[in-house]
Parts: sequence; C-alpha cells; structure tokens
Amino acid sequence: MTKQKMFLKMIAASLVRRRSRMLVALLAIAVGATILSGLVTIYYDVPRQMGAQFRNYGANMIFVASGNDAVFDLDTVNQGAAVIPESELLGVTPYRYESVMIHEQPIMAAGTDFAGAKVTSPYWYIDGKWPEKSGEALLGEEVADKLGLSIGDVFNVTCKSGEETDETVIDDGLDMTVAGILNTGGSEEQYIYVDLSDLEALAGPTLKLDVAELSISADQDTLKTYISEIETDTPDIAPRLVKRVTQSESTVLTKLQALVFLVTVVVLLLTMICVATTMTAVVTERRREIGLRKALGASDMEIIGEFMGEGLLLGGVGGILGSILGFVFAQFVSVHVFSSSITFQPLLLPVTIIVSILVTGLACLLPVRSATDVDPALVLKGE
Amino acid sequence: MSLLELKHISKIYGDLKALDDVSLSVDNGEWVAIMGPSGSGKSTMMNIIGCMDKPTLGEVLLDGVDIAKESNKNLTLIRRDKIGLIFQQFHLVNYLTAVENVMMAQYYHSIPDEKEALEALERVGLKDRARHLPSQLSGGEQQRVCIARALINHPEIILADEPTGNLDEANENIVLDIFRQLHEEGTTLVVVTHDPEVGEVAQRTVTLEYGKIKSDKKNVNFGKEAVSGEV
Amino acid sequence: MFFRMIRGVFLRQWKKLLMIALTIALGASLATAMLNVMLDVEDKVNQELKTYGANITVVPKSQSVLSDLYEVEDGSSGQGAYLLEEELGNIKTIFWAFNIVDFSPFIDTQVALDDGSTLTVVGTWFNHHMDLPTGETLDTGVKNLRTWWDITSGAWLDEQVDSDPSACMIGTAVAAQTGAGVGDTLHVSTKYGSTDLRVVAVYDAGGDEDGQIYAPMQTVQELSNTDGYLTSIEVSALTTPDNELAIKAAKDPSSLSIAQYETWYCTAYVSSICYQIQEVITDSVASPVRQVADSEGAILDKTKLLMVLITMLSLVGAALGITNLVTASVMERSQEIGLMKAVGATDRAVSALVLTQMILTGIVGAVIGYFAGFGFAQIIGRTVFSSAIDMKPMVIPIVGILVVAVTLAGSIPAIRMLLRLRPAEVLHGR
Repeated sequence: MTKQKMFLKMIAASLVRRRSRMLVALLAIAVGATILSGLVTIYYDVPRQMGAQFRNYGANMIFVASGNDAVFDLDTVNQGAAVIPESELLGVTPYRYESVMIHEQPIMAAGTDFAGAKVTSPYWYIDGKWPEKSGEALLGEEVADKLGLSIGDVFNVTCKSGEETDETVIDDGLDMTVAGILNTGGSEEQYIYVDLSDLEALAGPTLKLDVAELSISADQDTLKTYISEIETDTPDIAPRLVKRVTQSESTVLTKLQALVFLVTVVVLLLTMICVATTMTAVVTERRREIGLRKALGASDMEIIGEFMGEGLLLGGVGGILGSILGFVFAQFVSVHVFSSSITFQPLLLPVTIIVSILVTGLACLLPVRSATDVDPALVLKGE
Repeated sequence: MSLLELKHISKIYGDLKALDDVSLSVDNGEWVAIMGPSGSGKSTMMNIIGCMDKPTLGEVLLDGVDIAKESNKNLTLIRRDKIGLIFQQFHLVNYLTAVENVMMAQYYHSIPDEKEALEALERVGLKDRARHLPSQLSGGEQQRVCIARALINHPEIILADEPTGNLDEANENIVLDIFRQLHEEGTTLVVVTHDPEVGEVAQRTVTLEYGKIKSDKKNVNFGKEAVSGEV
Repeated sequence: MFFRMIRGVFLRQWKKLLMIALTIALGASLATAMLNVMLDVEDKVNQELKTYGANITVVPKSQSVLSDLYEVEDGSSGQGAYLLEEELGNIKTIFWAFNIVDFSPFIDTQVALDDGSTLTVVGTWFNHHMDLPTGETLDTGVKNLRTWWDITSGAWLDEQVDSDPSACMIGTAVAAQTGAGVGDTLHVSTKYGSTDLRVVAVYDAGGDEDGQIYAPMQTVQELSNTDGYLTSIEVSALTTPDNELAIKAAKDPSSLSIAQYETWYCTAYVSSICYQIQEVITDSVASPVRQVADSEGAILDKTKLLMVLITMLSLVGAALGITNLVTASVMERSQEIGLMKAVGATDRAVSALVLTQMILTGIVGAVIGYFAGFGFAQIIGRTVFSSAIDMKPMVIPIVGILVVAVTLAGSIPAIRMLLRLRPAEVLHGR
C-alpha cells in the first residue's frame, strides 16, 4: 500500500466512521454555502428583476421629430428603435394627436397602438377593457364625464372641420364604441384613445407621428449611449430621456442594490463565522488524536495536511451541495417575488466551492495548529 | 555500551523540581522498570526519554545523540525512528480498525504495509480481531493493539507508561508475557509503573522519589517467574 | 449542588461555553439585524420612492379641460374652478397628516413675452416654510417634488433667503428660445399687468416643463388676477400598497360596511388619503397619480417580499448554525455525561443540568447578539438610507424564542443519544 492510499484511507475512515460529527460539519458548511450562493445570485439578479418592476413607471425614452421637415413615421421610429437590443426593448408605442369633434364638442384624440400602450403605460387603470379591434375607443375619465358616455356606448366622431381636406377623410365621421374608461390621475384622462388606423381614416394618412414612447430595460447611462447612437443613425429622430423616470429609477435602484449588497455582506460575514466556529468545535474535539499522531512521529505538516485533506473534502462537498440549494432558493425567491426565473451564474459554482473550502480550511487550520504546537505529552495526558 | 544515558538531568517547573539531578543509563536489550509513587517524577522522566519533553538541565544521550539539544522537529523524527510508545489509556484512533491503527504508525514512519501490520497483530494474538474498531475490542485487546503499533517500526526502545494500569489481572499477564517475549528477542524495554507486580518482573527496578533516584537494583528473581508465568 | 455544578461549568469551562455563546450571539445578531431591516424596509423604500414626486394631485371639481388642450385662457371662471390658498394648511391636519411628506400648490397662467410669443408661467412654492397648527414646522415645495430636475446653471430658488417676488427659474427650452440666462430679466405681461422676472436658474426637466417658467406663487397670482386661488396641489404621501378593500373603496367609499370603512379610513391607502384631502379642501377632487402610486405599490410589495425571503433564509441559516454547534458541543461531553450516569444520576437529572447550562449560555449569547444585530441594522440603515432603522420591540421576543427553541432543538437529540449509551462504554472511550 502506498502512502497516498493510506492517506486517503484515513480520511475516508474519519469521514465515514465519524458519521454524526461529519454530518454536523457538512451541514454547517452546506448551510453557509447555500446562503452564499443564494444571496449572491439574488444580488446579481436584483437590478435586472427590480429594473423590470420599475418599468411599471412607464416609458423612459421618447422619440419626437427632430424638426418640422423631418420624416417621422412608423418606419423611422422602428428604425430608431432597432438600435436598442431586442432583449432590452420592452415596447414602442407611437402616438398621433388630432383634434376631433364628438357630440359637437372639440376633443383631443390620440391614435396609438394599444398593444404597445399596454407595455409602455402599465399603470393605466382601465374600467372596462382595452380596445381590441378597430372601431373601439378608450375614453379618458374626464372626457367620459363631460360627454356622458359610459362603457358600451356608441358615439360618432368627426374630424374637426376645415383642418383636413383630403378626399380619403370620412366626412360623416366614424361610429365608435366605448371599450373602456381610462383613469390615470394625469392629463391622459382628457383624451380619447383610438387605434392609429381609425385616426388615419378620420383625419387622413399623413403618416406623421407626434411622439413615440419607449420602455427600455436599461440604466440611465446605457440609455444615454443609445440616445447618441440613435441621433447619429437616424437624424430625423430626436430621442429624449424621460428624466423623471430615469433619474428617479437610478436613485432608487442604487439604494435597493446597496441594501441587498449590505444585507448580503452582513449575512455572509455572520454565516461564515458561524461555519468557522462549528468547524473549530469539531476539530478541537480531536486534540487528543492530534497529540497521538504527533507521539507516533507525525510531523506538524503531515498532521495539518491530513486535517486539511478532510476539510478540503468537506468544504468541496458542502460547497457543491450549497451551490445547488442556493440556486434552488434564489429560483424560489425569483419565482415568488418577481414571477420570473433566475439566470444561473456559472461562475458562482466554483466561487462558492472555493470559498467553502477556504473557510473550512481556515477554520480547521487554527485549532489544528494550536494542537500541534502543544507537546504531545500534555495533550495525551490532558483533562 | 549503553543505549540511553541520562546525565545529571533536572526538570524544573517554576519552584517545583520534578527531576533533580538524575543520572541513569540503560543498556541495549535491558528491561528496566521505573517505579515510584505519583509525583515522584516518573511521568516527567518518561516524557523526556520518549522525546516528548526536554530537561531543563543535563544531557540525554540516545544512541550517542544528545536529544536535549535537538529541535522539536528533530525530536519528532528521533521519536518516530527509535521509540515505540505504549500508553495507559491506549490512545487508539477510534475510527480506524486495529490493523489501520497499526498501519498509521507505519505511515508516519515510512510506508504502510498491511501484511506486516497483520503479522504484528498476530504476534500479540489479535490476528482475528484485526478488522475490528477499538470500540469493539476489550481493554486488553486495545492494549495489545497499542503494543503491536509500538513494535511495528522496530524501535530501539519500547517505552510503556503504566501499560497495565487500565487492565484486569488476566490481561495484565498477557501483556507482561508479551514483554517477556520481547525481552528475549533482545528489545530494550522501559516500563513506567507504580504497580510493584509489574516492577518486579523487570530485569532491573529504578525507584524514584521526590525527583531523585531512591534505589536502583537488579531483580534477583528475574527469569524465574517467567517459568511460572508460562504454567 | 445542581447550581454548584452549573456554576462549575461556567467558571471552569468558560472557554468552551464562550464559543457556544459566541455562535449563538452571531446567529441572534443575524436574526435581529435582518428582522429589524425587514420590518423597516417598507418605510425606508417608501421614503426613497418619494423621489418620483407627487402621488396625489388635487384639482378643482369643475376644472375645465379646455385650458389644457386648447390653451384657451379664461381667468374669470366662476366658483369651483379654483382651489383656495387659505385651505392649504388643512392638508397637514388630516388623519394621515404625518404621512404627507411634501405638498406644493400650483397656479399657472399664460403670459406674453415682448416678442409676442406666449409661455406658461407656473406659480408655486419652492421651499416654503410653514408653521403648522400642531406646532411642527415644514419646509415644502417643488424643490422636493421635482428631484429629477437638473439645474444646468444657477441654483435652486431659495424662498427663505431670497424673498424677491420677481425671481424665477426657466426651463432649457425657454432659455434657448429667449436667449436668457442666469441674471437676465424677462419682461412678461398679461391682460392684468406685467412684470420683470429675474432668472436665477435654468433647469432641465426632460419634459414639458422645459418650456415653462417657475415663479413664486404671489407673483403669478398678481399676473393672472387670481389672488388667493390655486389651480392644483400636488401631494407626496407615504402610502400602503392597495389591496382589494382599497380598490373597492376607491370606486365608492359608501359601498363599504362600517367596519370596512373604519379599516380603510385608518389605513394609509392612497385612496383613503385622497378621500381625507377632499374632506378638508373645498370643492376639490384628489386623485392618485397612477403612474407613481401604482408603481410605488408594486415596488414596495416586491422589496418587502424579497426582504422577507432573505430574512427567512438568514433565520434558517442562523437556526441551523446554532443547532449544529450545540449538538456538537453536547456530544463532546459524552464522557462527563457517562460519568454522571455512572455515579447514579437519573436521565432527568443529567438532561436538566445540560439543558440549563445550554439555555443560560443561549440567553447570554442572545442578549449580546441582539445588541450586535441592532448595530448591524443601523450600519445598513445609515449606509443605504442615511437614516436610522427603527427599533421594533417585536424583534426581542422573536429572537428570544428563536434562540431558546433552537438551543433546545440542538441539545435534546444529542442528550437523548448520549443517554442511550451505557456509561461503561462511554467511560472506556469506546
């Protein structure tokens, strides 16, 4: 039998035959590693996940025409939006405003794409339902009050007389149904929203949009780089940041991230010390054995080597267990808090294992060293 | 030529002189019992001979080398090569089997050899108990494993600290018989004990009191009891 | 004798007990820190979210949509078209007055510049100082409600230092259009009069406000002949995320039962705060700014849930850590327990002794841990939110129960296991 084999055999025997103690140690390490990998995964994912929550504030970038002569239609908007990676671009919503007449009263109508508006204005509170087909409209609450219209009512819309002279304009107007009443607590309540195609039928296909709202999942600095890219690529568009949203988002998100960071640091610090004290207790218990090995002629290095071997193995196994459990925990948190699954950080696996091994090793090293420093005679006689 | 020579050694702990100017020489192949009441300095002497402690004053020559001057690291090496230790509390590693405990001594000395370890256990009559854990062995059996472990590296001196202190009469006799056998094979034995029966079977008895040698005499009956012991 | 034995352990084995106490203290401090932070996080994040500005707007009941869409200016509206300035202070007298963080009145009017172009001038408070009837003081105004404004030149208009009624702040678009900068004056006029406005700052708001001028309220009221009147009030309040009750109440408070109404009225839902504001401001409609109020609710809920789950993980970790060490240290005492049994101690006596020692150690650890953990919570609070974390009394019993339960859970199985062994086996060192 070679020395290496005996070395492994002794470690294996120690782990297998001292099962209950080793389980105690392994459990401690696994718990530590779980907390490490779980919290770090969450820490890395929080900006992304929380960022998605912040998109609830709605559009954080708008496009307007860069000048009176600029071509600003759907194609231009899409061309501009193409600069932004698909994974970050949540939605683009075009808006075209025209004055229309309803019940002989002048009202501002916005032509839009409702599918997009749902994404870029997630805070819109709709009584009734979102319009689904052409001929259905969304009425701001104030407009609905003023006109005395409620859900399901049909009303006639005509374009404000004298503005458009295009033949395609339907002179007798369009009969539309109220699909829902919009409540936002803001100026949106003074508008009626119709599909872009309906507005074109009413006021003519000028193709020119007034504004496009974009909801982008990115931080303020990234947004600024997109803005300069869009400005150079598509000179017809003047992109602007919605400062209220971007500035506040970066303020709050920074704080939240700092919160999770500090919490992670504190929890990790305390957990690692906890793991270390448990390991220390487990090793201190074996002082007598260390003394015996020394009496039998083992050098300090050999003894430290053997205990480190055990620690390494325990740390490794605990680290692997912890990585898996930690990911499960992070996934659980992500699904329950943010209703989305978490991205696996492959780098975290080796990091968790290495940290587990380091902490375990260090926690073993101190008591082993203190035991080897003492004369074996004292340790053997001891107590 | 003497294998071990203590020259005027003293061990002082603060005010207490555990050993006070003690000189002693042990020849190759000799069987010496060191006796004395507790507190007489036996344990201190045993630790010094076993290279687990160093005297405050004096020289300790083992095979002509002064171990009092060696570093702790070298002491470990000397202990490994020249001394086999037997303890009162056996000190077996409780998660290793009998044969593995023996092999551990080989491991620290040179290369573990299971066959040789089994032979050592056979010598102490434990061949069929080789795969048992210490908790499955009786006290006498544990002590015999301890002896096998002490023998395995062919040390120059076997140093036993109260080897029968935790044993009943029957097991005590088994252990003493093994000692006798070892003596006949020419092994040098130093047995520290306070049990007169164990002291008397040795070739020579050194009695300590208050850190000094009180008496040092050859045992006139030596060899006779060996015959009666084998009856 | 029982106490003597316990004292003996504490006096002579203090090193080992210290380690156990230390681990328990670590676990307890972790639990304390996390629980304190968790219980306070909603308030703290709520404060942070105030950076999004007002979450409630108050407008007159019969406000016309005309002015907004067609820029028709009509200063002489009848009763109910304006809010009354004298009622502003009432906002800080409602049931949830303490939750009103900031508010600011607005009055706006169209003015003509010398070159004939028209602009909107908004009169407001910048950092108005108020002495409340309750004896408190409050500094409030747009400076707190427009945190996202970038001042590109100059500095925020400070009402308290610079009480000049002609000072104003202009948006970047106005600055570009008129060429005016800090220190310049703009001559503005309405049909009721005209005045010179001195620019003290140019701001970049990233929205429509860039095309407006912000001036002290009094100045704009004089320009528009609306002394004592307001067009709107923006209120920033700390609110509780809406639940079903709040949604039901928001539609029609009279549909609630008396008990539900009480609950709703006495909870800081955005709808109940709106309702209470309407009670104190004549002819007003207070409505939540959905963009802010809804998002706030979503973010608060998520943050709270996230912290709850992290806290749970920490508690489980702390509990397992303590259980582990306690088990390990009880097992270590197998010889002592075997000896006690050998000299005739009953199982009960042995258990009582060991458990008493462990629980005493646990309590010492828990007390140290509680204070350490409170310290950790303060570090987190100070670093992240620059304010202290409130001490929540309910954390004390939670941590206490946790430590005792966990210590027992760690000791009992180990003691039972050791008691099953025969004393002889234990004493022979197995």
